[in-house]
Amino acid sequence: MKQLFKTGEVFIWFTGFGLAVTLLMISGLLVLILLKGSDYYYPSKLASVSTVDGKNYLGQIVREESIPKTNLPDSLKEKGLDRYNLKIANRDLYGLDFKWIEEPEVQSITYHEDAAVIERMEFGNFNGFPNKLMKDGQTILEGDENLESGISPYISEITDYRNELNRLSKSEVGKINYKIEQLRSDIDKIKYENRDDESKAQDKINEINNEIEELNSNYALITHQVDSIKHIASRYSLFVRTAEGDEKEIDLLNIVRVYYPNRMSITQKAGFMISKVYEFLVEDPRESNTEGGVFPAIFGTVMMVILMSFVSVPFGVIAALYLREYAKQGSFVRLVRIAVNNLAGIPSIVFGVFGLGFFIYFVGGTIDQLFYPEILPTPTWGTGGILWASLTLALLTVPVVIVATEEALASIPRGIREASLALGSTKWQTVKKIVLPAAAPGILTGVILAMARGAGEVAPLMITGVVKLAPNLPLDGNFPFFHLDRKFMHLGFHIFDVGFQSPNVEAALPMVYMTTFLLILIVVLLNISAMLLRNRLRKNYKSATF
Amino acid sequence: MSGKEVEIKKKKTAHLRAVFFDKIAKYSIYAGGIAVIIAITGILAFIVVEAFPLLTGADGKEAAVIKEKKYGLPVLTGIDEYQEIAYMITDSASVDFIRLESKTLIKKVVFPELKNRKVLTAVSDISKKNIALGLDSGKVALLNIDYDVSFDKKNNRIITPQVSLITSFILDSSLQSITSMEYQVDEDGNPTLAALTKSERLLLYSKYKETSLFGDGEITEYKYDLSNIIKSKITSLAIDSECKKFMAGDDKGFVYYFDISGKDNPRMEKRLDVLNNSKNGITALKFILGDQSLIVGSSDGKISSWMKITDDSSSTGWKWVEAHTFESHSAAITAIAPSTRNKSFITGSSDGEIKLHYLTSEKMLLSVTEYKLPVKYIEFSPKSDGAIILYKDGLVSNYKIDSPHPEVTLFSLFGKVWYEDYKQPEYVWQSTGGTDEFEPKFSLIPLIIGTLKGTFYAMLFAVPLALLGALYLSTFSHPDLRNKIKPIVELLAALPSVVIGFLAGLWLAPLLERILPGVLLMLIVLPVTVILGVSAWRYFPGLRFGLKSGYEVLFMIPLVILGIMISIELSPWFESIIFGGDFRTWLLDSFNTNYDQRNSIVVGFAMGFAVIPIIFTICEDALSSVPQHLSSASLALGASKWQTSIRVVLPTASPGIFSAIMIGLGRAVGETMIVLMATGNTPILSFSPFNGFRTLSANIAVEIPEAPYHGTLYRVLFVSAVLLFLLTFIVNTVAEIVRQRLRKKYMHI
Repeated sequence: MKQLFKTGEVFIWFTGFGLAVTLLMISGLLVLILLKGSDYYYPSKLASVSTVDGKNYLGQIVREESIPKTNLPDSLKEKGLDRYNLKIANRDLYGLDFKWIEEPEVQSITYHEDAAVIERMEFGNFNGFPNKLMKDGQTILEGDENLESGISPYISEITDYRNELNRLSKSEVGKINYKIEQLRSDIDKIKYENRDDESKAQDKINEINNEIEELNSNYALITHQVDSIKHIASRYSLFVRTAEGDEKEIDLLNIVRVYYPNRMSITQKAGFMISKVYEFLVEDPRESNTEGGVFPAIFGTVMMVILMSFVSVPFGVIAALYLREYAKQGSFVRLVRIAVNNLAGIPSIVFGVFGLGFFIYFVGGTIDQLFYPEILPTPTWGTGGILWASLTLALLTVPVVIVATEEALASIPRGIREASLALGSTKWQTVKKIVLPAAAPGILTGVILAMARGAGEVAPLMITGVVKLAPNLPLDGNFPFFHLDRKFMHLGFHIFDVGFQSPNVEAALPMVYMTTFLLILIVVLLNISAMLLRNRLRKNYKSATF
Repeated sequence: MSGKEVEIKKKKTAHLRAVFFDKIAKYSIYAGGIAVIIAITGILAFIVVEAFPLLTGADGKEAAVIKEKKYGLPVLTGIDEYQEIAYMITDSASVDFIRLESKTLIKKVVFPELKNRKVLTAVSDISKKNIALGLDSGKVALLNIDYDVSFDKKNNRIITPQVSLITSFILDSSLQSITSMEYQVDEDGNPTLAALTKSERLLLYSKYKETSLFGDGEITEYKYDLSNIIKSKITSLAIDSECKKFMAGDDKGFVYYFDISGKDNPRMEKRLDVLNNSKNGITALKFILGDQSLIVGSSDGKISSWMKITDDSSSTGWKWVEAHTFESHSAAITAIAPSTRNKSFITGSSDGEIKLHYLTSEKMLLSVTEYKLPVKYIEFSPKSDGAIILYKDGLVSNYKIDSPHPEVTLFSLFGKVWYEDYKQPEYVWQSTGGTDEFEPKFSLIPLIIGTLKGTFYAMLFAVPLALLGALYLSTFSHPDLRNKIKPIVELLAALPSVVIGFLAGLWLAPLLERILPGVLLMLIVLPVTVILGVSAWRYFPGLRFGLKSGYEVLFMIPLVILGIMISIELSPWFESIIFGGDFRTWLLDSFNTNYDQRNSIVVGFAMGFAVIPIIFTICEDALSSVPQHLSSASLALGASKWQTSIRVVLPTASPGIFSAIMIGLGRAVGETMIVLMATGNTPILSFSPFNGFRTLSANIAVEIPEAPYHGTLYRVLFVSAVLLFLLTFIVNTVAEIVRQRLRKKYMHI
């Protein structure tokens, strides 16, 4: 033992201990997120719990734990007490999604085959025993087995209706609304331009008002259409028995899917999980972001990152070219280089503050005053939006691009440049034809790293245009298609918002874990591709010796 | 032209084109490069420029002056909220409304009841709508002045002044002239009036309407002669706007405090020696907005503020203290005007000097001497963006004032400030409050301490782990292992902080609350596991599972998991033995601190986790770039592996390690999302690891969405952004310079 201390072998082990803890934490984090997130996908069994005082509950047992001894009365301290956390759903009936039941209260726990989870558009899930399906007050399907096998065509029919309704209310109505909005702002503009004497512009205003009238009548047509589809769809309703034995009628239009977790086979479970992942990726969020998908957030993140790259990449590359190829190497350039390097370490919130003060209030405010004076003080550009957020992040990531590009340029052997110049090409030709292509993988690495950083950054976005729920995507079918003044959703902010500002955090948690997993996946994939590129680049230059 | 010539010409144009493009490219790259550099450095400049106006004072300029006394000698003046129309109450008891721009009289009101009366003194209450006139023969008249604002078809503003006489009555039964007065009306409309007569009698009058359940209550009038209580010569009076405190100052430097909250029982509670026996008299008194602070002006031009605070050691339970002093005038203070918007006030002196002060910051915002005449009366405009000043001989001057950030000075940002309702000066951050009278408190100290606290705990956790891990990976581990592990840790540096913050806030914080004793136990259990591990490795080689030397870490991982599990399993046992069963009660009993669920330990873990990859990577780079021949030489001389690494490798790489720690520090200082999610974000000043805190960066994220553009809060947040910028920039620059030095040093070895 003494020997161990004398030679320091113990201390070597302590250093190994440091590494082990670090590695454990990393893997622990990833495993935790994956496990917690997959809860959201996995169709866990529905337990029917009946209690000693004659109450019945139906739900998934989310957690089983023993109550901390300190919180128990003295009489129970010896034995301890376990409790179950049951996800009983049925928010419209019970108010709460979760219920704690103490172990001694439980009389029996059984798993009924015919217990089903009904996912709804509103009020979250419903746990119960489906009884019968009715159309116009007439029973079309009755009994557990008939229902299970026969309900899916009806559900898919209803899903078609719902999709049609969505399409109508989103794209059709959205289009009309957008046009009306545009026309209204035209009226405001005309009124503002003729503010001394409004009568001059009255003809024009009337003309536009007529147009609005026309659109409104179109709108009425669509609402009529919507109403008739709703009418057809609402003829179907599902009757479900709750754990207590009450019967509850649920509009089939409100139902997303019905599944019987207690008798699902492995393949069914796998299929179910795949359909959930698909839903998560392509659907809009429901129920104040706690259910549905995160498509708008994915879209917002991607679009913001692309916009950001459009700005930061060219400028970053030009600045690096200047510093490495054109500027006279001296103490000034060295100073600039240190400053650029350090800028990557400036807290992102500082960039956010700058973006708010400069882009939004100064630039945006000036644009509003010059081009949109008629609707002031309502801001058009003088408020957060995807353009300002992207520009802010572009500033934040420019140093990353500069540093990576400079490294790539520096690693190109001098001989290549000299050979090109010796053959009579100009400097620009050398740069364009020889240097840039050779440095391209390195530059790309920088771009990818910048994108990864941009995708994961939240703090500066919070004050420059991210919102919890954006009514419209910043890119749609209405002219001019790109709406860069719109606010947008972002995966990182989604995590913060749903996890910390949602009214029903516990119900939303699986969703947050999934979003977290998705965000990590994006960032990690981007980083891995950057790393692989960098490694290939290194190999390329190892062989290119002069 | 022959073919050759054509070719030459073609070549020439191609050459010219190449040169042309070369030039264009050169200039655009120059322009672009320099522009990017300027843009980047411009960030700091912009933030500083946005923050700078905080430290400037107020702007003021005279907008109008009325010298002609054709309307009679004014005794009192006031102004409407748009500063267009001023009223003057003349000594002949008329009310004149004058449009300031054109200096025309637009309305003159003479009340028949007051005909042939002479006005000797007049005063308005804090709302500036209720006015009391002190007349000869002991009479008092109460007026109400109001301005109706309407807009015509072309959106032009029309201001119509209104004045009405509420009542007039005889206050002094001995019919002596009233020479000085103070008048306030409380929020129920009950007036209180204090007056001095020519023969120096001090009278207090109040009217109180009993509000009963059945409609109109009974109105009771109270009239008191206080002269028999105070023997000295009273010079100035003040009543607070709730009509509960009445202060009278005398010519010996004493202020008498009367509690008049019981209308039928005004009591003199205390005689305050406010001027420290300096034999100077008190010449002006006024309560300022919020009724907490009394401004005292003396005959030698000194200004101070006094506050009534709770004091457990005195028998009454309260005491008056001098909380602030302000820049003095060179002559006696003759007028004090409180603002109705914030805690600023204007003082005027007998040599015509006018100063604008702010209470808590003690900042002197403006000082002007326009006329060398004694100031008789000053009134703030209702929006506090101007003032109207009445000098001796009836000269009236309207001043426009722009005082955007009166409450902030460098001292108030970084020093202890004595706010109203506080027992002593303190560092407070509290930017918004419920009432109009709320004063925002901007001390950056709690936030700076919070930032340092968070950074400290993060570094406490991250530095040992990262350093040990890097040392192991660079010097003791097998190269194959190293090539696999290093990219993984590097990858982790890119992990979005929002992810770590989310897990810390929603998963770790509740977990830690349950198993904290177990976590403390780990500090003992884990080292023991390490020693057990090394013994097993050494003395029972059969347990190595075929792992070679250099792969100890893989052997270690299950051991660590085991250690952690044992600790958590033993947590309740440990808690009951050491902490008497409940850690939180124990903490409260022994250290008098509460346990917050989201506390510094949680942040330490989370933020430490976020900076470990950075410190680790840079440390590892520094350690592994120590020239091989140094360690080879050491090993050849018979030193053990550990001795070599600790005596040779570590000292050589120490500048690199230093710079790694600095860069990690820089990241921890500016980290926003983790602290936002994993602390309670309470801006309290506490060093306990079991409490939360708020950092500069989280504070910006929390407050800036609510901060009005170019408001004080907005600019204060820019100041904190400047601080963050400078702090991280300096830390990073130091690290970078050290690293470059190191690089040079290796070249020479």
